[in-house]
Amino acid sequence: MTDIITTNALCKKYGEAMSVKDLDLKVPRGVVYGFLGPNGAGKSTTMKMILGLAKPTSGTITVFGKEMNQRNRLTILKEAGSLIESPSYYAHLTGRENLKIISTLKGVEEEEIDRVLKIVRLENQKDKKAGQYSLGMKQRLGLAGALLGNPKLLILDEPTNGLDPAGIQEMRELIRALPKAFGMTVMVSSHLLNEIEQMADHIGVISKGELVFQDRLKVLHDKSKSSLAVRTLDNGTAKGVFERHGIMCREEGAFLLLPELTDQELSAHIFHLFHETIGVVRVEERKKTLEEIFIELTGTAVSL
Amino acid sequence: MMRVFTMEFQKIKRKGIFTTIAILLGVQCLWGLWSFGRMSGEKLAQGWFQCLYHFPILNAIMMPVVIAVLVSRLCDVEHKGQTFKLLETIIPAETLFHAKYLCGVIHVTAIALLQVFMILAFGVIKGFGGPIPWDKILFYLISTIGVHVTILLLQQVLSLHFANQMVPLTVGLLGSLAGLFTMFLPKGVGKLLIWGYYGVMMRVGLNWDPSTRISDFYYVPVDWLGVFLLAFMFAGIYVYGRRSFARKEW
Repeated sequence: MTDIITTNALCKKYGEAMSVKDLDLKVPRGVVYGFLGPNGAGKSTTMKMILGLAKPTSGTITVFGKEMNQRNRLTILKEAGSLIESPSYYAHLTGRENLKIISTLKGVEEEEIDRVLKIVRLENQKDKKAGQYSLGMKQRLGLAGALLGNPKLLILDEPTNGLDPAGIQEMRELIRALPKAFGMTVMVSSHLLNEIEQMADHIGVISKGELVFQDRLKVLHDKSKSSLAVRTLDNGTAKGVFERHGIMCREEGAFLLLPELTDQELSAHIFHLFHETIGVVRVEERKKTLEEIFIELTGTAVSL
Repeated sequence: MMRVFTMEFQKIKRKGIFTTIAILLGVQCLWGLWSFGRMSGEKLAQGWFQCLYHFPILNAIMMPVVIAVLVSRLCDVEHKGQTFKLLETIIPAETLFHAKYLCGVIHVTAIALLQVFMILAFGVIKGFGGPIPWDKILFYLISTIGVHVTILLLQQVLSLHFANQMVPLTVGLLGSLAGLFTMFLPKGVGKLLIWGYYGVMMRVGLNWDPSTRISDFYYVPVDWLGVFLLAFMFAGIYVYGRRSFARKEW
């Protein structure tokens, strides 16, 4: 699988503060890439650098296999659409007029406007002034603008920010469908873990400007190794029994925490406890949540 | 560039810019009708002088504010809609800067042309004395456009830089007062401020005799130093403004 976006040791410094540090992103083709991180982690700055809206202090950005610079930036970005932070729109113009401006600037046929309006389900609101739209509708208008010209790459920065639950669900479904329906690659940022979990195939986690994890979401799930929690009527003696049979465990509250065991191993160890006449009252499988993994990765509880 | 330029007109749809221009020209027309309507034949004989003397004063009073309003409308649509970060992923910042400027230039040139047509109409209808001074009127048109577009450029640089349009609008208002004030000071003072150039470019002078209370107009030569200084200011503002806008991060 080739990468649509790669960055190499990308850095951005504002004054003395390092906003992005040695970032090596790899966004594979045809996926939804979730760019996750707490507020102020450097997500928007990174996306702005990819779009040429902010100048990197050092490092390189390659999009569609071409290293970007000020001269070729717009040629490369012809095949990209974006929605950065809040949606961009002219409040005194209708939704359709807004899209007409973008389509003209992009050099896209006017018929495209109706197609994208349909995708974002704004076709019945197209003649209403954008200033009268709800925030969700403005976000969808912004997405429609990004979709004009059927770009191969979409860069969406916190597209669900400020939306109500229904709006979030709608936007999420829309983004999720794009790679399959139109063959697009979508890079979407969020500070909400569950949101990225529901949208993305690949994930990059940024914390304090540094990339702390990047891979398929599945790999992250695999990291959440399960453990077993056993509660007995005499945890002290039971701990000794487990240790005599080579199982290292630790006490946590009313439970003994054991490493992951096969069904056969677990059954054998419980038999040992019975043999020692220690009553087993609970056996639970415990899995680290993604949230716990993120806290481990980022060292921050934040709003992930 | 052409596509971007035409879209500037689309963006200012329903922003009342034509109404602002119509009000400006309407006020000037009313002033002309009121002023020339009560003039005697002797004064009308100096009608062309009157126009070439009073219209620059009207411009100095009104145009800096009108230009500030026009440019703020052109730029505020982008600030309010946070559209710069979208536009600069589609078109170069310089193209946007030029398209916006050109759109403003079209408006102020139209104002200057309509004003000259108004002067000619007054002259023909009221029967100003002597032949039409085409050379002076042509210089008036070109120099007025020159001052308009320089002020326009400065206002655009400010309006693009400040999201809060009160800053450029205040500059426009203060510029208008300063421009008018410098007209009553030695010409050299007017050359220090771009708003003072409506006065610097005037081709008509006025002798007023306090004892007889008679005013007498006369033509003055072109102030070429003023022309060069204005061109120099234009170039400086252009180079700085274009570069700072292109370098701005969103």
